[in-house]
Amino acid sequence: MTPAPPGRRPGIGIALGRVAVALTVAFGALAAGAGYWQVIRSGELSSAPDDAAVIAAGRHVVRGEITDRDGQRLAWSLLDANGEPYRKYLSSSLSGVLGYASRAFGSAGLERAYDAQLTGVTSADPVQDLVKKFRADPSDPQAIQTTLVAQLQEAAVRALGADRGAVVMLDPRTGEVLVLASTPVFDASAVANPDTAMRTFESLQGDLAKPLLPRATQGRYVPGSVFKIVTAIAALGSGAVSADTTFAEQPSAEKDGLLVSGYRVRDGHHPATGSKALDFVGATEVSCNIWYALAGLETGGDALVEWSGKLGFGEPIPFDLRTAVSQVTGGGGSFGGGFKDAVELANAAYGQAETVVTPLQMALVTSTVANDGVLMRPHLVQALTGQAGTRTVDPEVWRRVLPPEIAREIALAMRQAVGGRLGRQFTTGAQVKGLTVAGKSGTAELGGTGEPNSWFIGFAPAEDPEIVIAVVVEQGGRGAERAAPIGGDLLAAWKAWAGR
Amino acid sequence: MDGTVIAIWVLRLLFLAGLYAFLWAVVRVLLRDLRAAAREPGAELGRLVVVASPSGEPAVGAGFSLDAVTTLGRDVNATILLDDEFVSGLHAALTYRGRTWYVEDLGSTNGTFVNGSPVEEIALVAFGDELQLGNVRLRLERARR
Amino acid sequence: MSLALAGMPHLRLRPRLRRRELGLLVIVALALPLGSASLAATRALGAGTNQPAGGLLLADGVALAWYLGGLFVAHLVLVLSGRRTDQVLLPTVGLLGGISLLLMERLPQGLAGGLGLGRTQLVWLLVSIGLIAVIGALVRSDAWLRLYKYSWAAFGVGLLLVTFAFGHDVNGQRLTLSVGPVTGQPSELLKVILVVFLAGYLSENRPLLIDESTRLGPLRLPPLPYLAPMIAMWALALSIVVVQRDLGAALLFFVVFLLLLYVVTARVSFVVLGLVALLAGGALLYELVPHVRVRVDIWLDPFATASGSGYQVVQALHAFARGGILGTGLGAGLPTIGGAPPIPALHTDFPFAALGEELGLVGIMGILGLYLVVIERGLRIAASAVDDFRAILAAGLSLVIGVQAFIIAAGNLKLIPLTGITLPFISYGGSSLLTNGLVVGLLIALSDRGVEVPRAPSEPHGFGRLRDRGAA
Repeated sequence: MTPAPPGRRPGIGIALGRVAVALTVAFGALAAGAGYWQVIRSGELSSAPDDAAVIAAGRHVVRGEITDRDGQRLAWSLLDANGEPYRKYLSSSLSGVLGYASRAFGSAGLERAYDAQLTGVTSADPVQDLVKKFRADPSDPQAIQTTLVAQLQEAAVRALGADRGAVVMLDPRTGEVLVLASTPVFDASAVANPDTAMRTFESLQGDLAKPLLPRATQGRYVPGSVFKIVTAIAALGSGAVSADTTFAEQPSAEKDGLLVSGYRVRDGHHPATGSKALDFVGATEVSCNIWYALAGLETGGDALVEWSGKLGFGEPIPFDLRTAVSQVTGGGGSFGGGFKDAVELANAAYGQAETVVTPLQMALVTSTVANDGVLMRPHLVQALTGQAGTRTVDPEVWRRVLPPEIAREIALAMRQAVGGRLGRQFTTGAQVKGLTVAGKSGTAELGGTGEPNSWFIGFAPAEDPEIVIAVVVEQGGRGAERAAPIGGDLLAAWKAWAGR
Repeated sequence: MDGTVIAIWVLRLLFLAGLYAFLWAVVRVLLRDLRAAAREPGAELGRLVVVASPSGEPAVGAGFSLDAVTTLGRDVNATILLDDEFVSGLHAALTYRGRTWYVEDLGSTNGTFVNGSPVEEIALVAFGDELQLGNVRLRLERARR
Repeated sequence: MSLALAGMPHLRLRPRLRRRELGLLVIVALALPLGSASLAATRALGAGTNQPAGGLLLADGVALAWYLGGLFVAHLVLVLSGRRTDQVLLPTVGLLGGISLLLMERLPQGLAGGLGLGRTQLVWLLVSIGLIAVIGALVRSDAWLRLYKYSWAAFGVGLLLVTFAFGHDVNGQRLTLSVGPVTGQPSELLKVILVVFLAGYLSENRPLLIDESTRLGPLRLPPLPYLAPMIAMWALALSIVVVQRDLGAALLFFVVFLLLLYVVTARVSFVVLGLVALLAGGALLYELVPHVRVRVDIWLDPFATASGSGYQVVQALHAFARGGILGTGLGAGLPTIGGAPPIPALHTDFPFAALGEELGLVGIMGILGLYLVVIERGLRIAASAVDDFRAILAAGLSLVIGVQAFIIAAGNLKLIPLTGITLPFISYGGSSLLTNGLVVGLLIALSDRGVEVPRAPSEPHGFGRLRDRGAA
């Protein structure tokens, strides 16, 4: 066999060169890939609660304390017989927001969201992170000061009593959350205590009332009439409807129902306003479904979905805790905005059909109206304190939704809904002596034979709002039955705490 | 800042530096090789044409390109294979150095001849000279360029 | 190459200095102890969260001393062989092996039975280095590879079938074969046999492959008679995936085959065709074979199953993230979960991630650079090879190391689905080290540049006795 003569092998040298180049490019891609995970995603992954370093730190490190805005201790660490730390909580009323941190069952709630900071794996700022590497003990557990108010949180849980539901209270000017309560509560200390952890957790998981579900952020409920505020924002904001708009067919439709594509929208659970065609304020005061259905049809599905999107619908809300997504419609329809047809749009406009919301989302809607149309980003954490000092979290504008004039028009309507002669029949119990309260109640029909969800959203004082509240009581009956009185009680409690 | 911690940092950085020092040294070697290879463009330096070949392998008239070093013999690993019973496994080597061609006898049984004269160890060959290995005769010619 | 083996008249001991190799080895000998020292210092400080049982300062030093000694002995053997062979491969591979040794020393020793992780790896590294030296020094003829290509192919297929039939499952893959007390992974050896066969086959048929082709519209296919073995290759790869559940080996075989086909024919269309066939086969397997589907799903979104099937990959990515740019330092990363490293099968499938955590991006890029050096040297040896067979053989051998490194590194980084193949010279495993040692040894043997160009004669007719004789 004659080997091929040397030197004259057309192409092999060149082909080899090209293969070398191709492999170099491939390895360059590897370097880029490594750069992606080791630089770009580095911070996010290494401070995630399921990162091995964070979990390992959680076992040995004494977690930072969590306090409320007044400095009251909400969560702190104790040492067991072996000298290993475990968590203790002030009250079970905080279980919905703080969650728990336990050795056996990991962490949940705020404890989980800030695992990396509380166990000291991540520092408050990147410079500190760098400096930390040069210290012998690089762990820097930080204490967290929340925006919560312990006594108001306690009051909220007490007010909800044996019912399942949620309360959200926040400051519309800054987005700070003062109360984030969910019932039923559970005893987080029992979960964190190694002696009782197993038993407690098992019974919690088996509990059909689902105490581990943080309803304030992840409970999804049919809103009923409180959704009308969203429709108002969309209708007035888009200009489809103005505060003076009246619908000629509305008074007669009160009796016979409004015909929309062959379906009758019935109203009638508001006091007879006779043959008077209602304007925006009037319709809001008596919670007129007909007016809102017409306003919704006028606005159109696309605009309704678009404007609600500005308020946070359709996506998780940027918040310290995980949130469920609120929706105006299930989507998939071709009638504009994802609605199936005009009937669904009409029903959605007054908060039925396929609308589902979280209590936090409704609080944000209210906050927008209360803050002249500017929606502040909700947050739970005010400051983080570590070895390098304190880093405060500043309020941040999330969305500019409405021009102030329109926001004030809606605020006025909500003032009437609580203070007006007709309005107060729907919001009995929400009134507070010495405080002008604005708001809206809701009675969300669930279909079937069960009781509807009882809703109330509101803000006070109406002239210069400082506090927003959203209350939902699962199957609590009419809005005025449960939610509105709870709202009134808590606003009064707030008044006392704030010294108004 | 803790002294041991700083010491560890220094050691870590020195280790990484060592890794890169190695790569740097290797790159220098690679570049040197590249430059050397570029200098020898692989152009044909000369040709060897078969004048006589009783066994027929290689065929008479066949031409072989020559590189800087070319071995001739019966062994399958020789650059140019001469299938003649009087040719040794590795019979001779043709080399090109300083613009001169040399033929070296690699300890063959029957010897190598240039224009009839036997080669003692190494001999100069010029274009047009005829080499004889066993019964095979080859002529050195200029490159075909 | 001259005829080899002892006793032949041409074998003469003629040592030749290998200065570059020595210089590079010196750098290796300076760098590795620094790593070892940083590891020891980290343990002394107690900052390491992962202290292997029985790992002592002195013990680390001893292991490294043995290893470096082995490298210098190998260097000496190559010097004594007197061949003008490549001087970069041994030090580069030595550095990779040294990094592996440091890693295995710092992991929990209990991950491997017998002597423990570090010691076992040291033994296999020394055997591998020894193999490189022996092959690089003594193998002077390629006839045994060139002439018997079909026998080699048959042997390879036979080995594969025996593993199919008698191998036992480890982690769902039927890769391991036990003959008496010896356990190994024949698929490692198979890739070398494949390259040998392809070198012979492709070099022999090269003219036909280049000149003839079958036209399929605008595409040019390899000529039909030769298409058959190629389709056989494709089918072989698929069967390996299905029966052995070894996606990595199948991918490696097929890619190396395609690249060698390109090297021989310089036709991009063949490669494109091969890639299309690969993707088509992959899609088919995805639909039909559950474990392929699982692997691909994990690759697409490991975080979705972060506590289930995606756990390994997610933990690996976390490891890279914790490493950052400079790493956590040897011994300081890899926080243990219940006494074990956070990534399952860390020492075999994920050493790249472990090094990413402890040496950082800087270290990772350095290691990638080392593999590129091996590839570059191998391809250069191929480019200056004397004939087609050796060129393809050298190219194939370097691709086997380079492409394998790429596949597992890319899998660790979630650039391609994860496969269970080893990172050459760094992963734990005797079969892997032996085979890669064989590959590098052969590359060095193939790089023999032969007789030195003679010195010009000082007088017109008197020629000085040449010092260089023999091998060409």
